Amino acid sequence: MAPKYKLTYFNARARGELVRLIFAAAGVEFEDVRFDYEQWAAFKESTPMGQIPVLEVEGRTMCQSLAIARYVARETGLCGKTSWEEAQVDMFVCGADDLLTKLLNVRFEKDEATKEEGKKGLATYVPNFLANYEKLCGPEGYLVGTSLTYADLAFFEVMHDILKVTTLDQYPKLAKVVENVTTDKGVSAWLAKRPDNPS
Amino acid sequence: MPAYKLTYFNVRGRGELIRLLFAAGEIPYEDVRIESDNWPELKPKTPMGQVPILEVDGEVICQSMAIARFVAREAGLLGKTHLDQARADMLLDGGIDVGKLFEEMVMEKDASKKAEKKKEFGEKTLPPFLALYEGFAGDNGYFVGYSLTWSDIAFFNMMDFITAEFPSALDGYCNLTKVIKIVKRVPGIAKWLKERPITDN
Repeated sequence: MAPKYKLTYFNARARGELVRLIFAAAGVEFEDVRFDYEQWAAFKESTPMGQIPVLEVEGRTMCQSLAIARYVARETGLCGKTSWEEAQVDMFVCGADDLLTKLLNVRFEKDEATKEEGKKGLATYVPNFLANYEKLCGPEGYLVGTSLTYADLAFFEVMHDILKVTTLDQYPKLAKVVENVTTDKGVSAWLAKRPDNPS
Repeated sequence: MPAYKLTYFNVRGRGELIRLLFAAGEIPYEDVRIESDNWPELKPKTPMGQVPILEVDGEVICQSMAIARFVAREAGLLGKTHLDQARADMLLDGGIDVGKLFEEMVMEKDASKKAEKKKEFGEKTLPPFLALYEGFAGDNGYFVGYSLTWSDIAFFNMMDFITAEFPSALDGYCNLTKVIKIVKRVPGIAKWLKERPITDN
């Protein structure tokens, strides 16, 4: 029987990987469709807003990466246990998405001067981001509450490139978050098998 | 009932959707508006050095959309099923993408660049967006299902800003015009629109 959920995105992490990580952590099967640019051009017209990722479920299609991530997290119980916890999870995910947008803008910027300016901005933004998140992080290595939520997954994913050049030695609670994410059964299996993409 | 306290600048900006949702839900809250002079002192006390922030019985969160979503839930305006909620989220996020371009145009200080951005927004960005959303809005005047959700209120709020620069933007869009009409008539919102401080943005 085909999986209930079908995710369509490029063969990249960027704005698709958070959803894939949520499925992995929840142990929920999904169809992981990855388009190249030619396939995308043919598919674009049929999407709600001319963008991917899109998620298809029960014959309905939706777009907007965070809306999809939030929906899947709700369906799989990874979005916080109470209304207030959900709000805190949201806060962390939105903050991580702000950083992801800056990182993606720099990565794909073609104008060298703008790119350099972006990199300079990140040099102050990132330490500030980490200091805030360390201060707000729960004591047990979960950003919110006492078990994994997709806030932890969003933090882990946005840190992907940053962790190549920085350590989290100054941020022991965040280091524990990364450890909890990477040792989670579903996530570790996914990390071992997922395609290795530069972005 | 919990004690809600919203802190933001004395502008609509990233706070007004939250205020509209409190109004729609007829939920009492403290609407704290700070002066720019007082901001440097408050900033280090906030979770991420930003406002708006929402305090609920002593606990604090930031990120305007996280706050808005929380208040929408408290007001029963999130959407009935997970899929309805996801649809509302999707439409809101699509609106935010366009809202950011509008904001860039408004904030542009160079007069000729601003005129260029305004032309680009008015001719290339706004029409396809409105045409798309006309299709998303039901002919009953709701974006999601058959009742008001926060995606209707968010659309109203966004168009409130946009029609200040493009007054006839919604001409010819029957479904979208209906959405706006319905939102303005929600009793709590009608009252708020009469009473709210008048600010430039």
